[in-house]
Amino acid sequence: MTFLPDAERPDLTLGFVPLLDAALLVIAREAGFFADQGLDVTLARQNTWSALRDKVAAGLLDGAQMLAPMPLAMSLGLGRAPCETLAPVTLSRNGNALVLAERLAEASHAHLAVDPARGARALAAALPTLPRPPRLAMVYPYSCQHYQLRHWLDLGGLDPQRDVELVVLPPPRMVEAMEAGEIDGFCVGEPWGSLAQHRGAGRIVATGAQLWPEAPEKVLGVTRSWARCYPATLARLIVALQRAGDWLAADPGHARRTLEWLALPPYLDRSVAHLSRLPLNETPIRQRLCGSEVLRPDPQAAASVAEHLDQALRREGRRLDLASLRACHDPVHYDRALHQAGAEDTEGGTPPAPQPDSNPM
Amino acid sequence: MSPPTSLKILLVDDEVVRAAMVEEALTHEGHRVICRLTSPASLNEMVARHAPDVVIIDMESPDRDTLDSMALLNRENPRPVVFFADQHDPETLQAALKVGVSAYVVDGLVPGRVKPIIEVAIARFDAFQSLRRELDKTRNQLSERKRIERAKGLLMKHQNTDEEQAYRMLRKLAMDRGQRIAQVADNVIDILERLENGL
Repeated sequence: MTFLPDAERPDLTLGFVPLLDAALLVIAREAGFFADQGLDVTLARQNTWSALRDKVAAGLLDGAQMLAPMPLAMSLGLGRAPCETLAPVTLSRNGNALVLAERLAEASHAHLAVDPARGARALAAALPTLPRPPRLAMVYPYSCQHYQLRHWLDLGGLDPQRDVELVVLPPPRMVEAMEAGEIDGFCVGEPWGSLAQHRGAGRIVATGAQLWPEAPEKVLGVTRSWARCYPATLARLIVALQRAGDWLAADPGHARRTLEWLALPPYLDRSVAHLSRLPLNETPIRQRLCGSEVLRPDPQAAASVAEHLDQALRREGRRLDLASLRACHDPVHYDRALHQAGAEDTEGGTPPAPQPDSNPM
Repeated sequence: MSPPTSLKILLVDDEVVRAAMVEEALTHEGHRVICRLTSPASLNEMVARHAPDVVIIDMESPDRDTLDSMALLNRENPRPVVFFADQHDPETLQAALKVGVSAYVVDGLVPGRVKPIIEVAIARFDAFQSLRRELDKTRNQLSERKRIERAKGLLMKHQNTDEEQAYRMLRKLAMDRGQRIAQVADNVIDILERLENGL
């Protein structure tokens, strides 16, 4: 028995960018967890983060998978006109890979090591021998990819303004741009990092999990006005996503099934063809997609990301206000939704633990 | 020398017919228009070289993120472009997003000068949409059945399914994308044929 009122808005369109951490949205749709909540959800693939952001702000999408810093950046008016946005549920932690083009990795002898600083120092040492400053791509100015890339550069004593050229490209363009020689490296979410390595275009030299372990990576983002208009719909979305995560964690066969769904043309299509299994919490990328500790909004983790937004605000003579931060990452929606979803639904006990490293698939 | 109301507009759109429609209309209004197809990572140079006052870009263009971040990443750029999201005019913005127009303007340009340009672009994007709907309708009615059959055949072969499952797959894809089955069939044919040709 659930105590959730009926959804005010049963037909929804949610945006996503082709990345492994769209998995919970895909599972919730394909395995029927949205339907169980009385929701008919269309998942609409977006070519760019900026278009996704603007469509959510304009109400053309009900909500979307978002980069973790995006809702707060939107609320603060960073990168576009302010639009108060919430992150009521986290969709993933970790997942980013820092990749150097094969020839640059070769020339600098940069490679993946336990200490991510080694690769950065190797690149720094090779800098004088390079014909031009390496052109490094990330996915959005207010993203963990950007901040992790800067962090990594900093470990090698590299200046992001002087020593390299930073550009923004959407994730699905990274590998082709690297193969075309247009960029010399990138920081991006899966599957694009492992795909670059698989194709021999680049080499993973560090991961987001090494630089910022367990950082929230993607969230579900909805505008505050949307959440206010459709509280029961939001609660049902949260419950459906939680169920999707529980289902994924419950059985290795479900991870296999998930990868098959992700490989469908409307989702990630051929970009996951190189994966033999859905990597859950595997070294070195340590992508995490399920478990309450992943999904529940974590204001503390959000605060460390918010420091970077604060720096951006200071350049405009502004300061981050804690009220915005708290409102954006408040776990209240998550807690209330799961509480209301009722005792009976969770009678089976606590959700199963996430899959261990050695996922026998 | 162009008249003082004339602005330099960079138009980034892979739909050549639509781009021509927008260019014609804006040139008619006395603006200078530079048309470009999208090409990865070259947008920075294009903006630096042409120094446009306004950039009109297809909302769905994969180049949009590059443009969107330009003002933030290149602080030394003397002409930072910013997303035209004038809070005082949400209707224009909404209309633009609905038909797939995004506009970026040089920071500090008076919104009143930009609005007519964006309205022209919106009108042409809208007109193009209806035009294409009409074209598609006539062209597709004839061969629709055939294309669905072909897509079903390819799916049966590649996904190792029977006819019933293949049709269900097409129908589901259509629902997911909010498209008609024939449109999805075209995509499936396109992808699977490319796959067969080893591309």
